[in-house]
Amino acid sequence: MVSAQKGQVRVITGNATGAYGAMLCRPDVIAAYPITPQSEIAEQLAQFKADGVIDSEFVEVEGENSAMNVVLAASVAGGRVFTATSSYGLVFMYDALQETSGFRAPVVMVNANRETPGIHAVSSGQQDMISARDAGWVQIITENDQEILDQIIMAYMLAEDNDILLPVMVNYDGFYLSYLAEAVEIYQIEDVDKFLAPLKKQSPRQKLVPGVSQGCGTHGMEMGYVEARYKHTQAMERVKNKVDEIDKKFGDYFGRYYGGQIEEYRTDDADIIIIASGSATGTARTVIDAKREQGIKVGLIKLRLFRPFPAERLIQALKGKKAIGVIDRSICFGWKYGPICMELKVLTQELGSVPILSYIDGLANLDITIPHIGRVVDEVNEAAKGKPYQDVTWIPMEE
Amino acid sequence: MVETTKKRNRVFNYFCQDEQFAGGVAWCAGCPMELIARLTPKVLGKNMIFVGTPGCAAPVLHGQNIGAWHRMAYLASVMTGVPSKATGLSRYYNRIGQDATVVCFTGDGCATDVGFQPLSGAAERQEKFIYLAYDNEGYMNTGNQRSSATQIGAATTTTPVGKIGKGKSNAQKNMPMIMLMHKPTYMATATVSHLEDFIKKLQKAKEKSKEGFVYLHLFSPCPVGWRIDSSKVIEVCREAVRTNYFPLWEAENGKPRITVNVANPKPILEFTKLMRKYSHLKEDGLAELQKQVDERYALLKTLVNAGT
Repeated sequence: MVSAQKGQVRVITGNATGAYGAMLCRPDVIAAYPITPQSEIAEQLAQFKADGVIDSEFVEVEGENSAMNVVLAASVAGGRVFTATSSYGLVFMYDALQETSGFRAPVVMVNANRETPGIHAVSSGQQDMISARDAGWVQIITENDQEILDQIIMAYMLAEDNDILLPVMVNYDGFYLSYLAEAVEIYQIEDVDKFLAPLKKQSPRQKLVPGVSQGCGTHGMEMGYVEARYKHTQAMERVKNKVDEIDKKFGDYFGRYYGGQIEEYRTDDADIIIIASGSATGTARTVIDAKREQGIKVGLIKLRLFRPFPAERLIQALKGKKAIGVIDRSICFGWKYGPICMELKVLTQELGSVPILSYIDGLANLDITIPHIGRVVDEVNEAAKGKPYQDVTWIPMEE
Repeated sequence: MVETTKKRNRVFNYFCQDEQFAGGVAWCAGCPMELIARLTPKVLGKNMIFVGTPGCAAPVLHGQNIGAWHRMAYLASVMTGVPSKATGLSRYYNRIGQDATVVCFTGDGCATDVGFQPLSGAAERQEKFIYLAYDNEGYMNTGNQRSSATQIGAATTTTPVGKIGKGKSNAQKNMPMIMLMHKPTYMATATVSHLEDFIKKLQKAKEKSKEGFVYLHLFSPCPVGWRIDSSKVIEVCREAVRTNYFPLWEAENGKPRITVNVANPKPILEFTKLMRKYSHLKEDGLAELQKQVDERYALLKTLVNAGT
């Protein structure tokens, strides 16, 4: 495969990018229900349909639960499908989310991250995605509009791979990226066809066909249930390398690489590492550069893959580092650490007794600012020198 | 004798398709839902695909700690997602030109309670599939709890009769009427005591589901939950029709038509005396039930007359 032709560059929002990403992958069935801050995707896809840009079946469902059920069934029948949601919408489809992964349906969904139930919050935060982390989905976090588009294409490549067959959730910070217009290269649809063509060369996946004696979603008989769960977790494990492979293929063809499971920035010679995800990583890079100039040997890891958790890549990148700071844009009930930090702490045995500092920031549309991340770097740097440190810090509560 | 044979032949003539179920299945003796399930593919053909839920039908339709007891394709769902899954299937099969009759097969609990929202949504969008609700007026699979299809006065395990309790205190949700207001391409009520009526409606359902949404509401008294002698279930169905407890009608594009006319409806006692579900009802309770039945029938009659 040679490289793709130059695409058309347009200045569009993250939401519109989500719709363009879906359009380029030619889904058979789309179902979407509007919710702030995702509504523009549903609108844009409906407009594509109205303008004849897409010929997908477009189902204007009466709720998110139905959106997920519609695409789940169409996927089980053999179709390529797309949906998008956010926040309470994701929560409302929770039973269907579990069915989708349990049925091993390669559904691709975009989720514009927003705070979730408990306290009503029409604001950004990763709590929705975190609340669905045990639903059996692959969860990927993107940083900017271009990455949303690219990741949707890569998500189909991942979800529909016969070695994987799992639903993939492409996340981006709601409000921040939803409404942020950036220059995005929209590839030629023929090039996306070519990139996704290897999927068609696989042996066809199992489909639900009328007149054929077979069922989907049958009651799991004792060992049948165990076997299905075992295979599901095995597929999850395979996702990790597959994400790296697809990233390489995508970069070779379209010219953009994202590092696969994680992106490392100035980590090679770093003593300390900051881990962040989503739109805040742009700010974090700026801080890393500034701190480097001050002589602090700090590096950044952008967490792209959250489920499955990229343990091996993280161990490789973090081994021998003197201290780690993790910035979470969500909370974890029952643990004081942020969710990503909590997951990282599972790797304590491999990483040794290195200080891991948890920072909660950016909840409910509060910005993760340059001074915030600067403070994180300074505190992690002090901890690396053996000074006492606070293991969890809610940055906005201390301002 | 001659007449009986003739009638039987007429009904059996509709069964142009093979039996899809195993000979003996894990449903209760006397359950009309088994008849409904067996008859449906015989009329609709084997290219039908069942979308079902946990419920009375589940053990046979999708197996429960055992395989399914039939040879058709099926998609099992939780109760909140049935019409939406049917939407996904029918949209995709239509798109690729696959011949398919998608049939949702759920109880009244799913249709009238927890799965109502997507049902209403699919009806409004005129999705091209058949929704078949077998109405046993409660959650029978889990042990006879009330649903919104349970009629006033009925004793269930969550509306028990006691020192104070008099059975269910609210009237039944008028589900067929609610669905009529969605103006489905075709809808009908039916039951197994009037087989030819039921089968004709199934045939029409298949034909009309190519154009839009189809809803079938099937009366299916539960011998266990309602405490009916297994041998008397068909009689209960027949008396439900004859007392107007469950009138048989159909509607094309929102225009209702009564298919089985009951010239002189019997008093409700003729129906209630056949089961223990209503056996605690005194005169006032029976009068209240009669009132509900009469009101519902009067409403139906009004709409039928307005349509013609």
